[in-house]
Amino acid sequence: MSVVRKFRPPNRLKAMIKVRGGLLAKDAVAAAETGVETLRDPCLAALDEALVEIERRFLPEVAGREAETFEALYDLVSKILDVAGFAADASVDQAAISLCALVDNCAEAEAWRWEAVDVHINALRLLRNHGATLPEDHRQAMIDGLHTISGLKAEIG
Amino acid sequence: MAAPDALQPSTRINLESATVLVLDDNGPSLEILAQVVSGFGVNALLRAESVAEAQKHVLAKTLDLIISDVQMPEVDGCEFIQWLRREGGEANRYVPVILVTGHTRASQILKIRDAGANFTVAKPITPKVLLERVYWVAREDRMFIECDSYVGPDRRFKHMGPPPGADGRRRDDLPAEVGVAVEANMSQDEINSLMKPAKVSV
Repeated sequence: MSVVRKFRPPNRLKAMIKVRGGLLAKDAVAAAETGVETLRDPCLAALDEALVEIERRFLPEVAGREAETFEALYDLVSKILDVAGFAADASVDQAAISLCALVDNCAEAEAWRWEAVDVHINALRLLRNHGATLPEDHRQAMIDGLHTISGLKAEIG
Repeated sequence: MAAPDALQPSTRINLESATVLVLDDNGPSLEILAQVVSGFGVNALLRAESVAEAQKHVLAKTLDLIISDVQMPEVDGCEFIQWLRREGGEANRYVPVILVTGHTRASQILKIRDAGANFTVAKPITPKVLLERVYWVAREDRMFIECDSYVGPDRRFKHMGPPPGADGRRRDDLPAEVGVAVEANMSQDEINSLMKPAKVSV
């Protein structure tokens, strides 16, 4: 039978954060935001690169896209999601999460839903190019639609 | 009113002497994590782009916090934490761990729960949310569980409610904030009557 040990290990971080000095939380967050902002251009370039790669391999006109793996698309969308904080004002992050959910559902079912994939890729491109200038309710309506298609809405609800 | 444990803008937090390891196989994502953690005032920051690289740091340094991506090729973040909790050496086995993940695959949910991490944060990360979670894992007082199938913080902390400032994910999660009373205070007699021992016939 398995023996269960319960104990409280020392937490060095606990003592450390209380030591005199350090930063106010608001200053720490501001410094981190300033640091992250320096990465905007390379991160958006990485986002665009991943989106171009998705279009190159997964759009309807691409011959042989049926041979692609679920994993390949999931990994590319994850790369977008990793840096999508820089395009959150365009809701690219939410569209990427929806596409991840869709691909995961496809992988579980072992069957592509190409129409749903196409809608997501088109939406990602539209949001990336114009999302930040769209009225918020229009953008939200798009995201709601994507969530419905991907099944994410049911997961959240 | 904010919960007493919530991280306030005026809360002072000192991470100057903390040694923090950040692990992510995606270069831009690793850079974001590193910039955020540096902004928090961490001077000793170790980066790893693979689990193998992270394991070398674990075996060579004493760490105070690990922030790791989940999805990685070959060995993922969950498997790294499972290794850490059993084979990471006495100095690092119990170090607080925050996992970061974009979308969580259905097949990964239980794996993440059972990895032994202290907290999971959704990507894209923001400095504010990550600092709140760092503050939370630094102050949490959960028991550690060690058995054949699991090593890590006690996973049963539903009764503690969601982290301060978070809405919670379960329908029956109660918010930490109690809000303003909507009814008049009870009189002392009413309170006494609730506590007054009453005779009962046996």
